[in-house]
Amino acid sequence: MPFSSLIRTASRRALLGSALALAAAVALPSPGAFAQASDWPQKPIRIVVTFPPGGTSDIVARLIGQNLTERLGQQVLVDNRPGAGGTVAAELVRKEAPDGYTLILANNAPFTIAPTQFKKIPYDPVKDFTHIAYIGASAPGLMVQPSLGVKDLNGFVALAKADPKLTYGSSGVGSISHILGEAVKKKAGIQMVHVPYKGSAPAIQDFKAGVLKSYYDLLAQNVPMIKSGEAVAIGVAAPERISQAPDVPTFREQGLDIVLENWLGVSGPAGMPPELVAKIHDAVAAAVATPAVKDKLSTWGIETKPMTSAQYAAFVADQIAVWRPLIIDAGATEK
Amino acid sequence: MDLAQNISLGLGVAAGFDNLLFCFLGVLLGTLIGVLPGIGAVATMAMLLPLTFHLAPTTSLIMLAGIYYGAQYGGSTTAILVNLPGEANSVATTLDGYAMARRGRAGAALAIAAIASFFAGTVSTVLIAQFGPAMAALALKFGPVEYFSLMVLGLVCSMVLATGALHKAAVMILFGIFLGLAGTDANSPMPRLTFGIDAMADGMSFVAIAVGLFGLTEIILNLERDLTRVAAIPLRDLFPTRAELSESAMPIVRGTFLGSILGVLPGGGALLASFGAYALEKKLSRTPDRFGKGAIAGVAAPEAANNAGAQTSFIPLLTLGVPSNAIMAVMAGAMTIQGIIPGPQVMTEHAPLFWGMIASMWIGNLMLLVLNLPLVGLWVKLLQVPYRLMFPAILFFSAIGVYSIANQAFDVYLAVGAGVLGYVMAKLGFEPTPLVLGFILGPMMEENFKRAMLLAGGDPATFIDRPISAGLLLVSAALLAVMVLPSVKRTRAVALREE
Repeated sequence: MPFSSLIRTASRRALLGSALALAAAVALPSPGAFAQASDWPQKPIRIVVTFPPGGTSDIVARLIGQNLTERLGQQVLVDNRPGAGGTVAAELVRKEAPDGYTLILANNAPFTIAPTQFKKIPYDPVKDFTHIAYIGASAPGLMVQPSLGVKDLNGFVALAKADPKLTYGSSGVGSISHILGEAVKKKAGIQMVHVPYKGSAPAIQDFKAGVLKSYYDLLAQNVPMIKSGEAVAIGVAAPERISQAPDVPTFREQGLDIVLENWLGVSGPAGMPPELVAKIHDAVAAAVATPAVKDKLSTWGIETKPMTSAQYAAFVADQIAVWRPLIIDAGATEK
Repeated sequence: MDLAQNISLGLGVAAGFDNLLFCFLGVLLGTLIGVLPGIGAVATMAMLLPLTFHLAPTTSLIMLAGIYYGAQYGGSTTAILVNLPGEANSVATTLDGYAMARRGRAGAALAIAAIASFFAGTVSTVLIAQFGPAMAALALKFGPVEYFSLMVLGLVCSMVLATGALHKAAVMILFGIFLGLAGTDANSPMPRLTFGIDAMADGMSFVAIAVGLFGLTEIILNLERDLTRVAAIPLRDLFPTRAELSESAMPIVRGTFLGSILGVLPGGGALLASFGAYALEKKLSRTPDRFGKGAIAGVAAPEAANNAGAQTSFIPLLTLGVPSNAIMAVMAGAMTIQGIIPGPQVMTEHAPLFWGMIASMWIGNLMLLVLNLPLVGLWVKLLQVPYRLMFPAILFFSAIGVYSIANQAFDVYLAVGAGVLGYVMAKLGFEPTPLVLGFILGPMMEENFKRAMLLAGGDPATFIDRPISAGLLLVSAALLAVMVLPSVKRTRAVALREE
């Protein structure tokens, strides 16, 4: 029967092609959802990621998910829900049961930028979530064309003062690289033209083609270009120099007090029982501390740091306050 | 010779047992997921990413690449059989492929699609091996200014695609651009034309629109018609006739070259390739009025172009380290997972991986040909299923596919709306193809225009100062002039009347 074979082929494809069916099944709060935390996990766990597949967030979630799967004996699935500055994913997780089976790979986009950027978001980034475990952060830096002939921040600022039409690329309005670019402009008292791109890849392409003079992006990903001499790194917005690029000075040591990092953590819906939070926190912390995982994260430019759940929750609240004035100054708010 | 050495190094790697096995698994899986619309290569590749933690880097990249070009193969099947383009690249194939299927030549269309894809895959593999870095240099010549001008040319060309009145095509292009502009503005965080609907914050789903305008509209139209059951087709009629083969030969060659070049360009490259190849054949043809009614060249050229483009879209990733679309972003992620940072150093530091992957593309294409030609008979038999059973199944899988892209019910309603719109358009003699092109190219044009103006300090002269851009705009202007010149219009009218 050719027709039934179509159905077979097709349904196999539907299964293979998407995490949808499985994810939906996981998402349904089952009667036993409020079972004791001591039983967790009894079924597959879903980690919602706010970005499309292939990016840093996505591969971090998959790496940690893989380790948690081995550690917990339950499948940990990654569910990519990009869109609307990460708010789609956050809102989805907010509505789920606080049973530890739906988690989000938390980051700046929905938790520290969206609350200020958008006029109205459907959730409160602090009250509506249980912030469970901090993973680490990677820092963005400023890369410029070698042809500009500048090597450090002083030289760059002098150049920008002479040429207010100097361009810098970011991975979009309201992205970390945009906010950082505007913060540097303000603190250094310079004028630059912001050119927004959709993600950093097209910005780097234009930079390589020479039409874009400078851009901000996570520093670690740009190390090969810096090493090959295609780009000069002016500074990094980390508290200390990062291990992947020890020669690149921080903005702070060059007299510009800016620290802005792209942090990652694991959070869940509000109202999770403390024992469950402790259990998930310990599992994630152990996964992150595994040498193989830690090494991978480090090669991707993510500097890990242990934090308790309480410290992490306070960190998220603090980040909102740190970013708010910068986002407003950058003009990245919905009117 | 260097090339020979590199290729033999690559073949040696690709012919390893593991690599052959995972290459086969990749193309098989790709073909399966490509057959239906919606969730495609990106989702599948993403799901398999964790598996690559356990595989050797070369093996995992070979498998992921196989899924991608396998899906390109599979995607043409539904486009030809039931007018359902699973993704933007197969829209051009629906135009004549589906028309051929309705004339009982589905087998020939599917076979030509497979042969064209294989030929294109082979040639573009050699091109990547020989000219990869040079072609990457071409990609670097295209900044926002050049993209804008290329999009303008693309839109002008899409008027050539129209079989009906020119002014109607122009209206459809503008309407498509209008629909495409919904979503968040590129240079500010302001939502535009979203009616406050959250699901539209990132714009309307292309797959929903395409499935609606092509697939669902066709179902409504078919239900209106008195459909006679397709008679069993004798086996010998499954394959293209000698005339059909010779008619396809040159279009395949031209499509391959156009696709190879445009595929290197990020974003709309592959899409422009398939439509560009179609438009080119229509312009070159002595019988352009046959296009849209089942001209085999209209299947051969875009199929060759989109497969060649799929292949060469690896060039920016492998030689510049810049992923040019969502699929390449997943490939970049897979490389990063393996500790390989995509970029020019891949070719030198990981030579076996680089050449092994390229050689595997050719092997994978051969596997696809062997896999797909025997399937042609099976697919064609499907058309004998009574339509009353067939259309609910098409509807069902379309809905699943559309929903699963962003897991949004809104997208399914959007597809239904687009289906109804398509029906009204068909009744009024408006064609959906220019709309689809406007929908995709419009927003890209806007984005690149704004970017170009920012980079040029607000000076529009930048579009004519840069030679490539000036050339593209000149060609667009010339084409437009030729189309609207009254004398040409008259000949067109005569030609259409003689149908």
